[in-house]
Amino acid sequence: MTGKKKATKQNNHEDPSEKFPSPTASDSDSDSDYQDSSTDDDDSSFSPDSQSESEPENGSPENDVSGDSEAGASKDEVHDEDGGNESSDLHQGGAESDSSEDEVAPRNTVGDVPLKWYDDEPHIGYDIKGKKIKKKEKQDKLDSFLANVDDSKSWRKVYDEYNDEVVELTKDEIKLIGRLIKNRAPHADFDPYPDYVDWFKWEDAKHPLSNAPEPKRRFIPSKWEDKRVVQLVRAIRKGLIPFNKPKEEDGPYLLWGDDSGSTEKANHLAYIPAPKRRLPGNDESYNPPLEYIPTQEEINSYQLMYEEDRPKFIPKRFTSMRSIPAYENAMKDCFERCLDLYLCPRVRKKRLNIDPESLKPKLPSRKELKPYPITCYIEYKGHEDAVTSISIEASGQWMASGSSDGTVRIWEVETGRCLRQWEVGEAVSCIAWNPLPDIHILAVSVGQDVLLLNTCLGDEEEQKRIKDLLWVDPSTASDDSGNKAPSVSWLKDDKHEGLRLRHFKTVTTVEWHRKGDYFSTVMPADILFECYKYMIHGPYRKQTVKLVVDYIFVSCFVIGLNGTRGIKCYTRTGFSLTSSLRESRAVLIHQLSKKLTQKLPFKLHGLAVRSTFHPSRSIFFVCTKKSVRVYDLLKTKVIKKLDTGLREASSIAVHPGGDNLIVGSKEGKMCWFDMDLSSKPYKILKCHPKDINNVVFHRSYPLFASCSDDCTAYVFHGMVYSDLNQNPLIVPLEILRGHTSSNGRGILDCKFHPRQPWLFTAGADKLIKLYCH
Amino acid sequence: MVKHYRPPGKKKEGNAAKFVTRSQALKHLQISLPLFRKLCILKGVTPREPKKKFKGTHQTYYHVKDIAFLHHEPLVEIHRAIRVHEKKIKKAEAKKNLERAKRLRERTPKPKIDRIIRQRYPRFVDALGELDDCLTMVHLFAALPASQSKKIDVECVHTCRRLAHEWQAFISRTHKLRKTFVSVKGIYYQADVEGQTITWLTPHSLQQVVTDDIDITTMLNFLQLYEPLLGFVNFRLYHSINLKYPPKTDPRLEAIAADVLYIKIFFPNHADLYALLKSDHVAGSGQVETNQKEAESGVEKSELRLAQLQHQLPSNEQPGALMHLVEEVTGEDEEDQDTRECKRLFKNMKFFLSREVHRESFLFVIPAFGGTVSWEGEGAPFGESDQSISHQIVDRESQGHRFLSREYVQPQWVYDCVNARIILPTENYLVGRTPPPHLSPFINYDEEGAYVPDYAKTIKHLQAAARKEVLPLPGFGKEDLEDPQNLLIGGLIDRAEANEAAQKKQKMKILEQQYHDDLKKELKGDTHTSADSKETSTGAELNGESTRNVQENIDDSSDMGKLMLSRKKRKLLEAMQISNARKQGKTDLLRQRKKKIDEAKS
Repeated sequence: MTGKKKATKQNNHEDPSEKFPSPTASDSDSDSDYQDSSTDDDDSSFSPDSQSESEPENGSPENDVSGDSEAGASKDEVHDEDGGNESSDLHQGGAESDSSEDEVAPRNTVGDVPLKWYDDEPHIGYDIKGKKIKKKEKQDKLDSFLANVDDSKSWRKVYDEYNDEVVELTKDEIKLIGRLIKNRAPHADFDPYPDYVDWFKWEDAKHPLSNAPEPKRRFIPSKWEDKRVVQLVRAIRKGLIPFNKPKEEDGPYLLWGDDSGSTEKANHLAYIPAPKRRLPGNDESYNPPLEYIPTQEEINSYQLMYEEDRPKFIPKRFTSMRSIPAYENAMKDCFERCLDLYLCPRVRKKRLNIDPESLKPKLPSRKELKPYPITCYIEYKGHEDAVTSISIEASGQWMASGSSDGTVRIWEVETGRCLRQWEVGEAVSCIAWNPLPDIHILAVSVGQDVLLLNTCLGDEEEQKRIKDLLWVDPSTASDDSGNKAPSVSWLKDDKHEGLRLRHFKTVTTVEWHRKGDYFSTVMPADILFECYKYMIHGPYRKQTVKLVVDYIFVSCFVIGLNGTRGIKCYTRTGFSLTSSLRESRAVLIHQLSKKLTQKLPFKLHGLAVRSTFHPSRSIFFVCTKKSVRVYDLLKTKVIKKLDTGLREASSIAVHPGGDNLIVGSKEGKMCWFDMDLSSKPYKILKCHPKDINNVVFHRSYPLFASCSDDCTAYVFHGMVYSDLNQNPLIVPLEILRGHTSSNGRGILDCKFHPRQPWLFTAGADKLIKLYCH
Repeated sequence: MVKHYRPPGKKKEGNAAKFVTRSQALKHLQISLPLFRKLCILKGVTPREPKKKFKGTHQTYYHVKDIAFLHHEPLVEIHRAIRVHEKKIKKAEAKKNLERAKRLRERTPKPKIDRIIRQRYPRFVDALGELDDCLTMVHLFAALPASQSKKIDVECVHTCRRLAHEWQAFISRTHKLRKTFVSVKGIYYQADVEGQTITWLTPHSLQQVVTDDIDITTMLNFLQLYEPLLGFVNFRLYHSINLKYPPKTDPRLEAIAADVLYIKIFFPNHADLYALLKSDHVAGSGQVETNQKEAESGVEKSELRLAQLQHQLPSNEQPGALMHLVEEVTGEDEEDQDTRECKRLFKNMKFFLSREVHRESFLFVIPAFGGTVSWEGEGAPFGESDQSISHQIVDRESQGHRFLSREYVQPQWVYDCVNARIILPTENYLVGRTPPPHLSPFINYDEEGAYVPDYAKTIKHLQAAARKEVLPLPGFGKEDLEDPQNLLIGGLIDRAEANEAAQKKQKMKILEQQYHDDLKKELKGDTHTSADSKETSTGAELNGESTRNVQENIDDSSDMGKLMLSRKKRKLLEAMQISNARKQGKTDLLRQRKKKIDEAKS
């Protein structure tokens, strides 16, 4: 009986949805109060006066809570009057019966069966005596609703389906339900965390709790552990368990055990070891010699230097070792070295540790190459302006000089006495003695004219011959040049008792042929200058300027220069610059005996600068700005073109042998050509910083010289061997100084004495100097 | 075809194929710049200078092969692994899993350098040849303060110090040290190991300051290479003299930081003696003293034996000792003349360092030249009161108590003696005097035009004098004439003398020639003047400045040869002349100053 009831309770507890108040019946058995009340409930529910009528609405005992409560509420009011005493009785019972729930008998004995079995029956169960408990009459809904509304306690009334009665819950019960809903312990007085009280008295205990002896297994090694260990050991031995413990730092070992294998070549690039640091000198000493320490002024002057020029380290002196401070840049030095080591590209550079002198070629001693001009021996003074040109008479006794003051002088070489003087009016640009010793004729280029002067030297017979030579028939002179207009007119110069060759342009140089009959003149086609000159002084000054020029830009420039308007270009046969340029009228060859003038029958490429005759053969050299052309006059054809590679050649000289020549240039370079060797220079000598004005060969000695605007003249030994396999030997011998610069010009001309190793130099400082050995 | 057009598929040519810029290399290697730098440092890869810098002059170029060389380097992989590992550690730390972090940290993969060292220096001699920078850096780091912020950890400093001391111990005990130089920057040492001249700089024993303007990571990268390198080199060196590496250290001496000395290096023949010593090795200063003394006596004994052997008088030692002797002799034969000379410099001399003297250097230098040294303080082999002390090194203004039996010298004396290889007279170096200038031993005064300070000349005289003294040394009697060594020395001296004589002769000749030249010049001048007088009479004038002409003539003659040179050679010549002039200018300045100083004195 009791067990059944308990089971009921359990059931109730388990399914709270079945009955609303059922949770009240639940919870632990041990705790008394509440349990009691619930049993009371049960007691009351078993009251015999419960009706046994079944209710159709509450068909299933598993009604949901809401429906159940609703239904309960409706039934409540029906049985209000009837169940009043019972409820009071129930309360009484609850109050009196405290401890034992077994004593209270349930009213309905039907047990824990689904109530829907009784849905069709008029009773709801059986009481303790086996009589049917009748169901109560069902109230209609309206009435029950009204009763509900009227009754203020209706909210706490619950319909007990099992006993078919309405139960009114007490205040305590409501509270209890509330607590349950809040998931708290149902009883308010229940303390979920009581202080633990150890009821067992440990002290004074005479016997242990357990007197069993220690088991043997506690003293023997575990069999299973043993097996496991064996398993692991085997796994380790097999290598199944890797030990990836960090190994102990293994120290150095014999890395270079045998150097025999070191010969193997690394397959990468060649390794260049870093250069070692510079070893310290005395200046880095802590106690350097006194002279290594810079003075205060010097230290101050370091501040004025550029930062990169400044010395990195200033020596200091400490009198004892204990006073040496820590070096502040130690880390920095080391760091910079590190940077050098890994950031600097390494290149193997050959360092020449040789005496700089050994670079110079082995040249024969200068003493062996004597004689050559060394020192200034005589100065010839007298000219009022720069001496532009000098020439030595073939015998070497006389020297002629022309100056830009418009005079030509003849000097006696050995005494320095001025023999004669001509006033030619214009600046003399070039002067040349006739190479024959018995014809004392001087060719002087003055402006546009070339004067042939009789120097009145020599005996009477010679004088007569000279006078014959210098006599020109004025009637025939103009007719000589044939059908074309004469480029040069041979005129008689009464003033100087000579000949005057009038050219159409300024003549810069005059050069005699070795036989003394021919001479060549060069009129460098300096177009601008010529045009200008022409317009100012020319015979057609009053006419409209008629110019035929090759270069249009030149004409334009001329316009700008003169401000003339309406330039017309005519092709005039009579006077044309074009023809002079194209047909190389820049270079003319004159014949003295016949008073003839010839043009060079070749085309000149470039502007002619100098011309010269071959010393032995009928070969003619014309030097233009960039190249030298060699013509054979007999065959009238070009033999050779020599490429100088210079920017602007200024002078040319031919070796007496005829196979070598030198060209001086305005950039100070001198080219030696070996014509048998190549058309390129055999040697280029860069000796002068300024323009070279003239270069000359000595006629008999193996000497040549150059003079320049830097007021120096260089004398070289230039030996040409007859053996063709041997290259010419060039040895610089002497630098001759002594002239001073005026107007930026230095030595304008230099000539060798025909027999002696003497050099004459004509300077812009109005002096002529003779250098002797 | 247009020059720059390259059809697809055609390979690059020329410089573009041979070289890559740094950023290209980085991209190719897929590593970061710092790692690349590190690899370059470790592997010794340097930039190259292509003839044509195809990507501009501001770029750094590397050879393609070099980059390929780096590409195959296992270090790259290891560094990637390290990076992954560091991430793991970071993660573990972020999760507060400190134990795992610790475990991971212990297991961080470490790059191994030995293979690289072998690769870079295939022969031991190669490694020795490039040891200069390594030693300088290790010595510098040994003097650095460890600091967390600069990433210089204590371990690193200690390793450096240990390595440096091991190296010094080897050099000192095998007498390989040749030159020392106290400069403002530190002390330079030069040693001669296996034919390689190794120079290194040790900073003064003062605390160095790590400034901010240097990149310490670069230096640490270098150190990462240098530390193991020096370790391996030391191992090999110790191995070559049959010693175990790392050497046993004396903990007590180490504790009192008696630097080099705490590394005990025992030659095999001394080993038994030291083993004996070690057996009764009980702490106690007195005992230590005796121990050391015994050790010294042992050294002396061995020297004595050696001397006996040289005199070919087989000693009365037991056969075992004879064995040692044989070993010793073979060892001795291997030593060259220089080493023998160095070993003997401070022989039978006892040094005592005063309290204020920097101990470190002297404990290295004096034993290296065969002297014995002690110092004031704990663990010193002998005390100041030892009567056998021959020199006391003092670096103070005045010395209070003096023993008459010894000389009180300034520290510089030791270094000067070492450099001159003779025992210099001490009177200039006595306490309280200003010492003579300390000269650099690295300068070659024989070079033409070099400035020779006065003191260098005096030292040279002293050296010459000392050599003459050596001749009638008692050790080498008349019967020792057949001793090859003696003969050798004699020959050397003879040769030196001959050299000197030849030099003198040459000088004389030069002087003579100069005189003759002068005479000639004068004569020439005379002729000119005579010519002048002649010419004035004739009316023409001549230059009177014969002297100037002469000067010019000399210039001309030097100029003349230059004319015939090709342009390339001429430029080379000019460059040489400029540099020579610069050198000459420096020495001239020194001479000028010297002159001024002398004038001020007199």
